[in-house]
Order: sequence, then structure tokens, then C-alpha cells
Amino acid sequence: MLTELGDEGVQILTISPDPNEKSQELAQKLRARYRFLTDRDLAVTRRYGLLHAHGGHKGQDVARPTTVVLDRRGVVRWLQLADSIQVRPDPADVARAVRQLGS
Amino acid sequence: MIRYGSALLSVLLSLAAIGGYIVFLRVPAVRNHPALYLVAFAIATAIAGVATWRAARWPNFVALGLSVALLILGGVFNFVLAKIPATPTVLRLGEPAPDFTLPDASGAPVSLASFRDRTPVVLVFYRGSW
Repeated sequence: MLTELGDEGVQILTISPDPNEKSQELAQKLRARYRFLTDRDLAVTRRYGLLHAHGGHKGQDVARPTTVVLDRRGVVRWLQLADSIQVRPDPADVARAVRQLGS
Repeated sequence: MIRYGSALLSVLLSLAAIGGYIVFLRVPAVRNHPALYLVAFAIATAIAGVATWRAARWPNFVALGLSVALLILGGVFNFVLAKIPATPTVLRLGEPAPDFTLPDASGAPVSLASFRDRTPVVLVFYRGSW
């Protein structure tokens, strides 16, 4: 997904309810700077206001797919919230947003 | 001899739309414009509709039925099932993201604040495995 960002000097944190050992293995193979974080009870997702209640295929709660670019001070500089489960951010747009942060 | 080129064209267009969407799902321009398959189904419906109007034969009816069914199913999925309700997110451009601490794949706690003044961060919230 975001392997384009591997060399940009940026930390990618992914957040989902899943335990993510397999995802982490995959990321290491891709040598992408991902860390897969597990928000098992969706507490952080809920606190961020990104809960899609009953949005899972079994009616379980899931996260609204969201990508956020934070600068070094932790300030939100770019944000995309999905309004359809079919849509994901274009990695090129995310990479551009990261590059525009400067150094 | 009645020709069924239009019916065939309609069916092929529908199949090409489905196949193309699946094959190119990883291409952002395709993935992020899902309504394109609806446009293809609508054109397929129009072609089959004209063919049926000209010759009320079963191949044309089959093509029309298929394209109408796909148009309805695709429309319901795209405009109803796939929609995510707006959420009252606390994220605002130009404002700090709230701190959190979550375990990584090895169970080690990772806090957002630990990256402050060190590196930019991309947060990716996703739905998880299905």
C-alpha cells in the first residue's frame, strides 16, 4: 500500500482491531517502515471519532478508513476520511503530503 | 437471420467492467472511482434496451436482464452498502492529534508522543481483516 513512503524518513503507524503478527512480517519483507498497532477494543479509534458502528461484514464495529499525516510536532497536516468502504487514499497523494512537510 | 451483435456487446461490456475493476483494484484511479462500473452497466443496459426494442428475441432479453440486474446491484452496493456515515472526528488540520499508546505486533507499547520532534508520522486506520 504505502511502500512508496519507505524511504521518506517517516514512521507509518497502522491501527486496526486485529492482532497483526502476520502484517508485521509482511512489512518487514517489504522493508517498509510500518508498525502495526492493535486497537483491540477500538478505544483509540472511538476517541478519535473514527468508529464505523456495525460497519463490518458481520455487523461488528470497525474503523472508518482514515489516513492522517502528522508533522514532527504531531500536528495534523493532511487528512483523508473515507466516505465509502471502496475508496482508499492514493499512496502518491500521501507521499506528496509527507514531502510537503519539509524537514 | 437476426444478428445479436448488440446483445453480445452489452454482455461483454458488463463482464469487462467487472473484470477490469477486479484486475485493477490496486490502481488508485480505478479503485477510487467505483462509479465507473455503474457507467459501464448503464451503457450496457442502453445497448441491450435498444436491441430488445428492435428485436424482442431472447438473446436481447438476456442481455437486458443481466445489465439491468448488475446496474441495480452495483447501485445498491455503491450508494447504500458501501457508504460510511460521517463521524464526528476530533482530527482537525493544523491541530495536534490526540496522543495514544497501543501495543505493536510484538506487544510492545507504542505512544504517538514518542515520535514528537523526531519524525513525521502517517497514521492509517483500517477496517481489519474480513
